Amino acid sequence: MKNIFQPARGTLLPVVLFVFLAVSLMFIDHRSRNLEPLRVGISVLIAPLRQLVSLPPQAGGWLLQWFRAQQSLILENEALRDRERLLNARLQKMAVLSAENARLRSLLGSARKVADTVIVAELLQVDQNPYRQLILLNKGSLDGLREGQAVIDDYGIMGQIIHVTPNSATVKLISDPEHAIPVQFVRGGARSVAFGNGSTDELELRFLPATADIEPGDELVSSGLGGRFPAGYPVATIVSVQLDKIQGFKSAIARPLARLDRSREVLVIKTPVAPLPSEQPREGSAPAPEPADAGEQAQ
Amino acid sequence: MNPLGLLVILLSLAVSLMLMMLPLPDWATIYRPDFVALTLIYWSLALPTRIGLWVAFVCGLFVDVTTGALLGQHGLALVVILFINLNVHQRIRVMSLPHQALYVLALLLLDQALVLMVEGMIGRQPPLSAYFGAPLIGMFLWPWIFLLLRHLRRRVHLA
Repeated sequence: MKNIFQPARGTLLPVVLFVFLAVSLMFIDHRSRNLEPLRVGISVLIAPLRQLVSLPPQAGGWLLQWFRAQQSLILENEALRDRERLLNARLQKMAVLSAENARLRSLLGSARKVADTVIVAELLQVDQNPYRQLILLNKGSLDGLREGQAVIDDYGIMGQIIHVTPNSATVKLISDPEHAIPVQFVRGGARSVAFGNGSTDELELRFLPATADIEPGDELVSSGLGGRFPAGYPVATIVSVQLDKIQGFKSAIARPLARLDRSREVLVIKTPVAPLPSEQPREGSAPAPEPADAGEQAQ
Repeated sequence: MNPLGLLVILLSLAVSLMLMMLPLPDWATIYRPDFVALTLIYWSLALPTRIGLWVAFVCGLFVDVTTGALLGQHGLALVVILFINLNVHQRIRVMSLPHQALYVLALLLLDQALVLMVEGMIGRQPPLSAYFGAPLIGMFLWPWIFLLLRHLRRRVHLA
C-alpha cells in the first residue's frame, strides 16, 4: 500500500483534449470519408468477435440440419427439383424474350442490358444502431466487393454497399432514413424517388403529381437513373396513395419486395453500370445471341 | 499490473463489446444498455490509476465501429462519464450496491444523452424512451456486473 489517498486523477486538461479530439473526429467522419482507414482497421480488429457472436445461430443451423430426418430432406430435394424444372422452363422463355429485347434495342440504337454478374454473400450481422438500417456481409474487397454496388435478394433490391473492409462489407438498406432509390412505375412508366423511413416494411414516395395514375398494387422497379442501381430490378409495391389537396401533390407508401429483415443470403451485383452498346452480348444461353446479331446485321 | 489481470480486463471489455453486437429483435435494440460503459465504470472504480481516459476513448471508437455510429460519438460520452467517475471514485467505492446503482444510472443517463444528442444533431430523431430505457436497464444490471467483475478481480489478485 503506497498511499491511502490517491491524488485526484481527473484533471481538466486531458478531458478537454479528448473531448476536442472526439468532436473533431465526428465532424470529419460526418463530412468526409477520410477516416475510412481507421474504421476499416478497427473493423478488422473486431472481426473475430463478430464471428464469435454469430457462431451460436450458425451452430444451431448446423445442428438442425444434422438431425433433420432423411424423409424431410428427400421431400425438400423433390420440391427443389420441381422448382428447378419450373425455373428452367421460365429461363428458356426468358432467353427468347431477352433476345427479342436485344434486337429491339439495337433497332432503337440504345444501350443493351447485359446479364449482371453477381456474388453471393451471407449476412453476418444486423447493425445494432436503432436509428439506421445497416447490415454487414461476410464478403469484402478481397472478394471483389466495392462501394456503391447494389445488393439484392431473391425478391428485389435490398440496398447498396457503403463501407468495404477486406473481409466484410456494410450495406445501407433502402429503408434507411438517409437512403433514396430512383424508381419507375411498371404500369405507366412514371419516374420517382423512393425514400426509406426507418421501418423495414415501408418506403415513401413524396411529391408525385396530383394527376399521376397510381393505385395500390402498382409495382416499382429501379429506374437506373443516378447510376448506382442497375435498371429493371423490382423494388416495391404501392400500398396506399394519399392526395394532399392543399399542396396539390400525391404521396404514396410502398412495401419493399426484398425481405429486408429476413433474408440471410444476398446477391451483390458486380456490374452496376450498363455497358456501352458496342459491347457484345454476354448471354451464355445458346439461342439467345443469334437473332440479336441478325438484327444488327440487318441494320 | 500482472499479465493475468491485464488479460481479465481485456477479456471483460471484449465480452461487453460482444454484448453490444448481440442480435436483438428490432423493438429491443433501443433498450440495450451500454455494456462497455458499465464495464469501464467498474474498472475505473476499482483501478482508477490504471484505467485512464484514453482507455475510454479507444473503447469508444470500438463501440462506434460496432454500432455504425460516427467515429468519436461514444468516445466523447465515455470520456466524459469516466472523467466524472475519476473525480468521485473514492466516495462511490464505500457506498452500498443500491446506492452505487443510482450513481451508475446518473452516469448512464449522461452517456446516453451525449450519444443521442449527436444523433439528433445529424438529423436522426431518437424516440424519448431511448433516453431512459437503456440506462434504467443498465442500473438494474449494475449489481450483477459489479459482483461478477469483483469476483474475477480478486481471483487474479488485481489490486
